[in-house]
Amino acid sequence: MEMDSLPNGNSATPNPSSALIPTAAAPPSSKLNQLAESLKLEHQFLRVPFEHYKKTIRANHRVVEKEVSSVISSVAEAADRDGMSRDEAVNHLSSLVSRLQGLKRKLEEGSRVEHLQAQRCRARLDHLESADAQNLSEWNNVKVKRILVDYMLRMSYYDTAVKLAESSNMQDLVDIEVFQEAKKVIDALQNQEVAPALAWCAENKSRLKKSKSKFEFQVRLQEFIELVRAENSLRAITYARKYLAPWGPSHMNELQRVFATVAYKSTTECTIYKVFFEPKQWDFLVDQFKQEFCKLYGMTLEPLLNIYLQAGLSALKTPYCYEDDCTKEDPLSQENFRKLALSLPYSKQHHSKLVCYITKELMDTENPPQVLPNGYVYSTKALEDMAKKNNGKITCPRTNFVCNYKDLVKAYIS
Amino acid sequence: MGLTTIKDAFDRVTKKQKLSCSKTQEVIDQIDQELEQVLQTLQSASDLDSQLDYRSVLAELKTKLKDMAPLSQLESTQKEVNIAASKYPKLLEKSFNPDISKAYRNIEFDSHTVNEVIASHFYRRGLFEIGDSFMKETQEPESACAMKLLFQEMFQILEAMRKQNLELALNWAATNSDKLKENGSDLLLKLHSLQFVEILQKQSRDEALKYARTHLSLFASDHMPEIQKLVICILWTGKLDRSPYAQLLSPTNWDKVAEELTRQFCNIQGQSYESPLSVTIAAGTQGLPPLLKFMNVMLGKKQEWQSMKQLPVPVELDKEFQFHSIFVCPVSKEQSTEENPPMLMSCGHVLCKQSIMKMSKNSTRSFKCPYCPSDIDSTNCRQLYF
Ligand SMILES: [Zn+2]
Ligand SMILES: [Zn+2]
Repeated sequence: MEMDSLPNGNSATPNPSSALIPTAAAPPSSKLNQLAESLKLEHQFLRVPFEHYKKTIRANHRVVEKEVSSVISSVAEAADRDGMSRDEAVNHLSSLVSRLQGLKRKLEEGSRVEHLQAQRCRARLDHLESADAQNLSEWNNVKVKRILVDYMLRMSYYDTAVKLAESSNMQDLVDIEVFQEAKKVIDALQNQEVAPALAWCAENKSRLKKSKSKFEFQVRLQEFIELVRAENSLRAITYARKYLAPWGPSHMNELQRVFATVAYKSTTECTIYKVFFEPKQWDFLVDQFKQEFCKLYGMTLEPLLNIYLQAGLSALKTPYCYEDDCTKEDPLSQENFRKLALSLPYSKQHHSKLVCYITKELMDTENPPQVLPNGYVYSTKALEDMAKKNNGKITCPRTNFVCNYKDLVKAYIS
Repeated sequence: MGLTTIKDAFDRVTKKQKLSCSKTQEVIDQIDQELEQVLQTLQSASDLDSQLDYRSVLAELKTKLKDMAPLSQLESTQKEVNIAASKYPKLLEKSFNPDISKAYRNIEFDSHTVNEVIASHFYRRGLFEIGDSFMKETQEPESACAMKLLFQEMFQILEAMRKQNLELALNWAATNSDKLKENGSDLLLKLHSLQFVEILQKQSRDEALKYARTHLSLFASDHMPEIQKLVICILWTGKLDRSPYAQLLSPTNWDKVAEELTRQFCNIQGQSYESPLSVTIAAGTQGLPPLLKFMNVMLGKKQEWQSMKQLPVPVELDKEFQFHSIFVCPVSKEQSTEENPPMLMSCGHVLCKQSIMKMSKNSTRSFKCPYCPSDIDSTNCRQLYF
């Protein structure tokens, strides 16, 4: 049940003459321009599912390459072998045939996944295209939900993220599957297990290398530290030789510092080394992983929610927001939003924007501001209304000053 | 921005991928066929054939596979996929803002506060299950609970209204009739009107008359024309749809009253009508493009950005986001402050105090208004309060 989906009841039969009436005037170009600008913020929305799709394509192709080349070399090997019986040759070839059958099945499954992911990419393109002035408020509702799902996925609130996506029928518009991949690694790291993280590094080796990531190095360091903690110096040294030494050329300082822990115990009081043994090192790894993960998929490092909130709060923030009479329609009248906006900059305006204290409507040439003798300014609409109801008397709602409607003067704001 | 170009670029990827897929299948089928053929030859050969034959058959197969060069066949189609697949993200980067966090200030939001805001948002949108699930998963203390109770009441009323049941709505409006009046809302009358029309359509003329007497007559003094229009409908009991007042049956009437009820409910409960989270995100959507544009120009000033007290560029929001009067002096282009308030000049134009002081050489002489031919005496200027 949701407020914005109240049904329109039984739809009335359309008025036959309405077809003759031209459709409502096109929205002003500034509105359309604004919409186009806001769509340009959706890079991640298209990029992430595409990276996912690309990854599947690549993985599927690798499987084919591997299987085909091993079938070929297996044939070559049999051809070169001496003294093979007929039965042996038949068995050998049969096993290769069934191997190819297996590959075909894998391929089918693989292209099914590819197809779904391509569909998701297309669904998002269609969703962007569907945004227009008529359905903008519903479209924006979906956008808020997308942003909230993104936040929840990044904060590991998976259950609610899935529930919200399902109940709003927007699974194709959010990246739940992508984050499930991350979840495996994060959960493991939180349990101090490195295997999934290392597997992930191997899977994305070339791209991580290209972006000069040192995440794998950091994971290896942590594994090394755990061996030292277990006072297994011999294994620690073997480990370091095998997995840490290759990083030496690029990260010598760090490597030296960490390697020196071999000489200490995990209970060391030496502050330089103590830090390596702290459990928060694992949290640090989780954060590092999240960053690498976001980079790889072309996501912002911050949750979208934080980015939009920051920009929105700054754009809304005025010195008047923290006063008692800030209207409750202003998010910044609320304690929580004020707290979030505290260290953000104030908005900047190039032109005056006057809002009537009484009606909360904008005062412009159609509804110009008028000044009471005490200097307080209200909109013509509000003052006319008040005068009508009170025999031409005006009472200033903020000072209780009383005057006549004819005592008012217009103010011209340029 | 040209979504068509982007769609075309994407279609190119899937097209190439499909080609590559069928090529792969073809290659595998070819290998498969060769293997099956050799297998058949081997199986059908009599036991008397010599071992040497098997070997030559296998050697032949080896050569055949080698000549087929399946891997390089796969390689060439895959290469085309890769080309298309690397073009697409580049096009995305060109057509969109590739990094909307460029205007992000590195300050950590308090996650409890954010979570509370989100939970409240779910509740006030009527997404109670989602809200509960969120509270459970975040393990936040039940801080948004009050919000939940409040909006549960509202959504119960709205849900009943959706089923054409106005009892809860009427009860609530009657209980809050004083506050509704204070807000200048005639919600109670609107609800009674809906109920009256329902009775007209579904029950007898007597029932309708009885209802009008007990409930509508109370509004007679303030809303005579509306009441008259309703009461005359009694003449068309049961066939209102064919009367001049058929409009009263329109389902949009219910939507409008539901909206008015939502508005009044929120107002009386001290809540905003819109979700503050949605409002802020909408403001952010309008604010980000100019901020990002600025950051792109000011590449080197990232450091300054982190400490600015005021945004470096004006961000024009739509009027639904204008909650406060902002006066910008047309001469100095600065926003007014308590020390530098807006002043009304005798001609009706408004400048800030500092500008007036400057132009009047500290009130030592009169000056010409920059916007009209009037001579201004600074001592005759009045401070304004917006
Ligand atoms: Zn405010
Ligand atoms: Zn003037």
